[in-house]
Amino acid sequence: MLDFRQQLKPRFAVLGFVVLAVLGLLLARIWTLQVLDGPAYAKQANDNHVREVTTEAPRGRILDRNGRELVTNRPTMAVVVAPSSINDEKLLARLSTVLNMPVADIKERVASVKLAPLASRTVAIDVPMSAVAYISEHETEFPGVEVRTQAVRKYPQGSLAAHVLGYAGEVSQSELELPDSPYQYGDIVGKAGAEKSFEKVLQGDRGRQLVEVDAKGRQQTVILNGEPVAGRDVVLTIDSKVQAVTEKALAQAMEDAHKAKFPKARAGAAVAIDIKTGEILAMASLPTYDPELFLGGISEKNWQMLTSKDSEFPLTNRAIMAQYPAASTFKAMTGLAGLEAGFTSPGSTYDCKGIWTGMGEQWKKYCWDHAGHGNETFMEGIRDSCDTVFYEIGYRFYRDKGEKLQKFARRFGFGADSGIDLPGEVSGRIPDAAWKASYNENYPEYQQWLPGDTVNLAIGQGDLLVTPLQLLDAYAGIANGGKVMKPHVIKQVLDAQGTPILSTSPEVAFDSKTSQGNLSTMKTALASVTKDGTGKGAFVGFPVAVAGKTGTAQVTGKDDMALFVGFAPVEKPRYAVVVVIEEGGHGGSVAGPAARQILAACLGQKIEHVTATDASR
Amino acid sequence: MNERKRLWFINWPLLIAVTALAVYGSLMVQSATAGMPGGPGLFRRHLLGLAIGLVPMVVVWAFDYRTLQGWIGPLLLMDALLILSPRIPGLGATAKGATSWLSVAGFRLFQPSEPAKLLTIVVMAAVIATYKGKIERPADLAKVLGILAVPLALIMLQPDLGTGMVFVAITAGMLLIGGLKPRWFLILGIVGFILVGGLLSLNTALDKALNRDVLIKQYQLDRLQVFVDPTRDPKGAGYNLEQSKIAIGSGELTGKGLGSGTQSNLRFLPEPHTDFIFSVTAEELGFLGAVILLGLYLALLIISLEIAASSRDLFGSLIVAGVMTMWTFQILENIGMTIGLMPITGIPLPFMSFGSSFMVTNLAAVGMLLSVWTRRQGVSGY
Repeated sequence: MLDFRQQLKPRFAVLGFVVLAVLGLLLARIWTLQVLDGPAYAKQANDNHVREVTTEAPRGRILDRNGRELVTNRPTMAVVVAPSSINDEKLLARLSTVLNMPVADIKERVASVKLAPLASRTVAIDVPMSAVAYISEHETEFPGVEVRTQAVRKYPQGSLAAHVLGYAGEVSQSELELPDSPYQYGDIVGKAGAEKSFEKVLQGDRGRQLVEVDAKGRQQTVILNGEPVAGRDVVLTIDSKVQAVTEKALAQAMEDAHKAKFPKARAGAAVAIDIKTGEILAMASLPTYDPELFLGGISEKNWQMLTSKDSEFPLTNRAIMAQYPAASTFKAMTGLAGLEAGFTSPGSTYDCKGIWTGMGEQWKKYCWDHAGHGNETFMEGIRDSCDTVFYEIGYRFYRDKGEKLQKFARRFGFGADSGIDLPGEVSGRIPDAAWKASYNENYPEYQQWLPGDTVNLAIGQGDLLVTPLQLLDAYAGIANGGKVMKPHVIKQVLDAQGTPILSTSPEVAFDSKTSQGNLSTMKTALASVTKDGTGKGAFVGFPVAVAGKTGTAQVTGKDDMALFVGFAPVEKPRYAVVVVIEEGGHGGSVAGPAARQILAACLGQKIEHVTATDASR
Repeated sequence: MNERKRLWFINWPLLIAVTALAVYGSLMVQSATAGMPGGPGLFRRHLLGLAIGLVPMVVVWAFDYRTLQGWIGPLLLMDALLILSPRIPGLGATAKGATSWLSVAGFRLFQPSEPAKLLTIVVMAAVIATYKGKIERPADLAKVLGILAVPLALIMLQPDLGTGMVFVAITAGMLLIGGLKPRWFLILGIVGFILVGGLLSLNTALDKALNRDVLIKQYQLDRLQVFVDPTRDPKGAGYNLEQSKIAIGSGELTGKGLGSGTQSNLRFLPEPHTDFIFSVTAEELGFLGAVILLGLYLALLIISLEIAASSRDLFGSLIVAGVMTMWTFQILENIGMTIGLMPITGIPLPFMSFGSSFMVTNLAAVGMLLSVWTRRQGVSGY
């Protein structure tokens, strides 16, 4: 039996070789996996079990100057739908029934192109519990549909100060693509007004947690816990009481205009400011809108409505985004400039015959009072808003050739941004020779600056454009010793404990360097307007002396526009107010009474609505 | 020298290697089951399997293997009965699509196909030993293949593709030692290839004709297809392989530490204590751990080869060669599948994987090796 061993030897060798080959093969493969590709697999293993979970940070609140909530947050049940569901007609029909919402509306929201291609679209917010329960219980019938708790903005004061507050909405593709954009899909960011201006402080920091999850995605342990940091609360300079009065007065002015046979009046703006600090106490614009429309994403229909001419662009904050002729309110500027230039003096007299031919017979111009004011001093010219007086002064500026009127107006902030901390302001226009030449670049025959241009500017017409805020700023400057404070709506930023971490301090935006004597003269003149002049009807019986000026602007193709701008008390001025009513008629009868109510609110006086009749400019 | 004294002729290296593997395995099973619901219970069952396995090991060792050479008929019958037993109404239990458990009153006892492997080895060794180291007549080969066919057919009916492959590998190893000419291996390979191809076609045709999943189950085909391209279905059949590779790869050189494997503890890895115990080992102990394990297997297999060579008769050599081929193939298949070298089948890793039937069978196999060693050439009295 011994030879079987010899026979077997090579066979054992083969078997041994097979064993070595098998183990060698395994070892080589394991070496590749663990040593050569190890780091790559280590990363995969890490990706497998470590997930980043982010928690939304609550957006900061917006408070009025007295700590009253203007904007806060509230949780809502929202139904979101994956964009891929757009073609699932059966699903949309089921959703339509459950949400009691037309299929077309659902489709429109799911089809929204404002969001990332794959991000779920919010279809409905404030979904009733019954619908939430139904969708949750019938999950399989609603593929791609999810019910989520979302935080949305809450407006405890309704649409109060809507234009100041602005609105917030889901971050857009372009905002996401900005370099170092801190946002991710679905973030709510400020889109307009204070929400946009103070986005950086209102927006909190998302909480970022690294959690270990198992194969089924269940959370095991928290590796890194980055708590969300809530956005800061912002305190505005707005006084919600004054704001409410302002909005009401503006609305009432519309009605007054309608009664005075100016049926087209529906748009306007009013602003109240603290002249010493530049704090905006109230800012209103009509027509206004309901910020709630933006919750959960605005519908196409509502967006069209808010941005259309037919509804007079309710989103536009006319106080800073609209520009108008200043009309007679500009006479205070012309007057002051004339005093400063020595072209006039308080005692200078003018003869108003109702028609003025200072530039020659063929260039005759009329005073708004065609009967003529007769003999008028400079002071009376302001009081009565006599055009002839200012034609004369304006013509004097023209003959001087120094564009001193324009330069003076610019020293009060006209033709430039006011610097207000709200987005979208426009800078108006102070027309001068250089502007006219470039504006009419292609029409050489219109390029020359004519005497009439300066004369028109002197009464606030012609090519002059101002925003209501600029006008207000100029008067606040007159009241404040010639210094225009930078207007602002932010007062403080609060930390989580409610302690201010940032407060705005008054800042001079424009120093007109006007002589105090001339300012005082102008104040006296403006005070006479509400006492005995064009503003008398609006301020009759008002307990505090008010300095101001009415204005009635002529706009081609439209009804006259009513303006009033002024400040009070005359002796120690504190607040300035401007009211502009598009196609509202006369400043004294429509804008003045509104301004009276707003000033009353600022000064803590009794708020009275007076009916004034006035046909002046 | 009497029987008692002869038992002292122990192959210590074998026992040391097996003990080391069993300890290593227990360590890994403990780590893999620690995070599972009922983990400690599973670990205790593993230790119990080890303890129980010592009984058949000692009994088989004490038993003179040579006696078995004359029992071909009864052993083959027993083999068939064992494999068939789960099919007996009231005794079978089905897990993962295969009716491979013997169960009494709903309690799963063991998988009869495990001890059946050893019986098949013994029967086949007995038959091949009669050819005196030369398998030249086709009739002899046919007889051996016939013996393979009985358990193989029954196993494939369970169906258990992996175990079937083990039987084929064992047969190949024993035919090699038994003296089958190389060209016959070639012929068998070609015939096998054609048969498998034919079977797959037949399977497809039958599935279509009967509109039912017959013969080879769909999941088995899926596994095979995934083996070819694991990325084609990362969350389905390919998921297991992908996660196993991530586990092993992420272990890198020194591993994440015992009990700290994220892939296994967070259950990304399927069956971490049974089929994928190697993945756990490689993840937690790294390449060094894998090298140690392969080193222990190399020792085990080389010692086995030495025992096979030292046998006093061809029968003993064949038994040892069979056991050795069985282990080699199982190591190749199990580790191979975790690293994407082999298709995924439910083959456990010898001495490492959780599973009592498997552990007991392997310990009994160690008993057989010891039995051959103790009665080897040159030992007085034999």
